[in-house]
Amino acid sequence: MAFTDNIDNTFAALEKDVLTPEREAALASFKALGVPSGRHEEWKYTNIKTKLPESLRLDDGRRTTDDSQRKFNSFKNIEGTKLVFVNGSYAPALSAIAAQDGVVAGSLRALRSQHADLIAKHFNKATDTTSENFAALNTAFAQDGAFIYIKRNVKAAQPVFIIHLYDAAAADVFTQSRNLIIAEEGAEINIVEDFQNAAGEKFYNHLAEIFVAANAEVNYVTLQLDNKHTTSVNTIDARVDQDARYHITTLTFEGKLVRNNVNAYMDGKGALATLNGLYLCTANNHIDSHILVDHRVPHCDSNQVYKGVLDGESTGVFNGKIFVRKDAQKTNAFQSSKAILLSDEASVNSKPQLEIYADDVKCSHGAAIGQINKNELFYLLARGIDEATARGILTYAYGSSIIADLPLEALRDHLYDRLKERLNITF
Amino acid sequence: MLHIKNLHARVGDKEILKGLTLDINPGEVHAIMGPNGTGKSTLASIIAGKADYEVTAGEIIFHGKNILEMSADERAREGIFLAFQYPVEIPGVSTTNFMKAALNAKRKHQGLEPISAKDFLKLMNEKRQIVELDKSYLSRSINEGFSGGEKKRNEIFQMAMLEPLFSVMDETDSGLDIDALRIVAEGVNKLRDKDNAFLVITHYQRLLNYIVPDFVHVMYDGRIVKTGDKNLALRMEEKGYDWIKEEVGA
Ligand SMILES: Nc1ncnc2c1ncn2[C@@H]1O[C@H](COP(=O)(O)OP(=O)(O)OP(=O)(O)O)[C@@H](O)[C@H]1O
Ligand SMILES: [Mg+2]
Repeated sequence: MAFTDNIDNTFAALEKDVLTPEREAALASFKALGVPSGRHEEWKYTNIKTKLPESLRLDDGRRTTDDSQRKFNSFKNIEGTKLVFVNGSYAPALSAIAAQDGVVAGSLRALRSQHADLIAKHFNKATDTTSENFAALNTAFAQDGAFIYIKRNVKAAQPVFIIHLYDAAAADVFTQSRNLIIAEEGAEINIVEDFQNAAGEKFYNHLAEIFVAANAEVNYVTLQLDNKHTTSVNTIDARVDQDARYHITTLTFEGKLVRNNVNAYMDGKGALATLNGLYLCTANNHIDSHILVDHRVPHCDSNQVYKGVLDGESTGVFNGKIFVRKDAQKTNAFQSSKAILLSDEASVNSKPQLEIYADDVKCSHGAAIGQINKNELFYLLARGIDEATARGILTYAYGSSIIADLPLEALRDHLYDRLKERLNITF
Repeated sequence: MLHIKNLHARVGDKEILKGLTLDINPGEVHAIMGPNGTGKSTLASIIAGKADYEVTAGEIIFHGKNILEMSADERAREGIFLAFQYPVEIPGVSTTNFMKAALNAKRKHQGLEPISAKDFLKLMNEKRQIVELDKSYLSRSINEGFSGGEKKRNEIFQMAMLEPLFSVMDETDSGLDIDALRIVAEGVNKLRDKDNAFLVITHYQRLLNYIVPDFVHVMYDGRIVKTGDKNLALRMEEKGYDWIKEEVGA
């Protein structure tokens, strides 16, 4: 049975609403595009076709655990709104909304009618359902996700956490979840999205659309730390308007097959985007970071720093595309992708792709694949630190710089601890 | 304490140590002088356990154990310390965290619990004062952006923290200004006791005015060719190496 066989029936069973016409178009698009095979240029190194479930099942509310019994990392030591989703469906009993003037945060499904106009104006306007297979699939089928709306000039004092949990009763569910983030002019917010899969084998296709209006600032952190049995596609599409600042950092500590599409569209002059990532790949994990920065207008800056650590027989992909369109003069675009291989069997495919059609621009990229530095290693050994720990410490030293740039001290401390835990080191 | 017998070692096809013998007892300070490229740092690296060198003959016995069979980290936990000629910079790990990991590795080896945060801070404060290392250096990444002299001070600070039984100091004096040299040397003197020993590699007699050695060895072409007391260092300073070369018939 093919994944796409029952797709029309599944779609027909969905509740109808104002977004239905968009969904129908996306469904048609997905049916035309299908699931990408290795012949697809953007999926050359990531064979997802044979890794997806045999049929498309959506969340039907089956649960092994009552929400009140659910244990998860709720970022207890960090104040802020916590929006929790189980298999993509909002779980109000687990969520806590910190009241903030000018900030709306909740379930997209629940807030759909209340903010109908705003949502209709933005939904599906940052993503590309005509050529992106999983964006089309997501748009057709996603029923819920986070909706965050920050009103003009509001500087949100507290972050919003979007926490995704998965329940083992629905192991066969291919979760389709969807966020819509709208920061109006001059608004500022920190958002942390964490995917916590403790449920075993899991598939999800998540998509976030982020609108950063003129002078606004959105700092978005994606965490895939508890992800061992997960096969996932996560697409984060942002439109960045004039003088706006957009920061997206992705931390992936494990994952059976992870594909992260991080796309930033520079729509207004003077906009800034930073796109950073740290991925740790082990066993036979596969982690694919596909980054796109599209400089459409003049005077924008973009910076990408990606670091990978690959162990075992794992494979990594870094594909960093920078488009500088004809009108995008005075663009500054920088990209650095590095990886260290901890074993002889691990490998990474690194492909920078700069397409520059303007003549007055500064663009640079650097890629480096290396090993743990032997002299550094010896220095630690010579102080009595065993080799596994020494390698862990050096990996920490290498990777933790990505965390150092994140907002919120409590978040950084939490992530430093998680990185240490992941690398089996303490200090 | 440390007995090196007829040590031969090479890198690739290049033979560097050519039958080196040296005996060091608890409480002693030995100095090694010798021309550039003669194998002093190689000896230090081999004692510490650097894997780049192949020992083709001889042995190194430390407290009755042949350390050539131990990994570098085991040797360190057993009480061997190398103060590097060129300490590396490691961005991203603070000296504090580094020392915590190193100290706890040693404590684990001794069957002790990890040190408490409070005791660790106290210990760091006490030890950094021995070499007058400002607190701010400890929270910085290991040696990152440190001046040459600061790096050397950091080496001796680490030595003080780990309280080794046997320490090799490879040109710790190079890069130190006159005041720093005195401070570091006095620091080392404070660490001396009847149970530990030091091997001090240096080009200059000046250091030995402060850290007074029991023995001075001259190393040449992979061997120790002359041994004397502290006055040998004075003679070397005065006369250079030519007479030694003549004596050994080079
Ligand atoms: N890893 C190595 N690979 C190749 N050659 C090496 C290596 N290590 C040392 N050598 C060579 O072995 C010789 C001895 O080097 P070593 O660093 O031990 O000298 P040294 O006595 O410490 O000199 P200096 O006084 O300049 O510090 C030199 O010729 C050096 O180039
Ligand atoms: Mg040397």
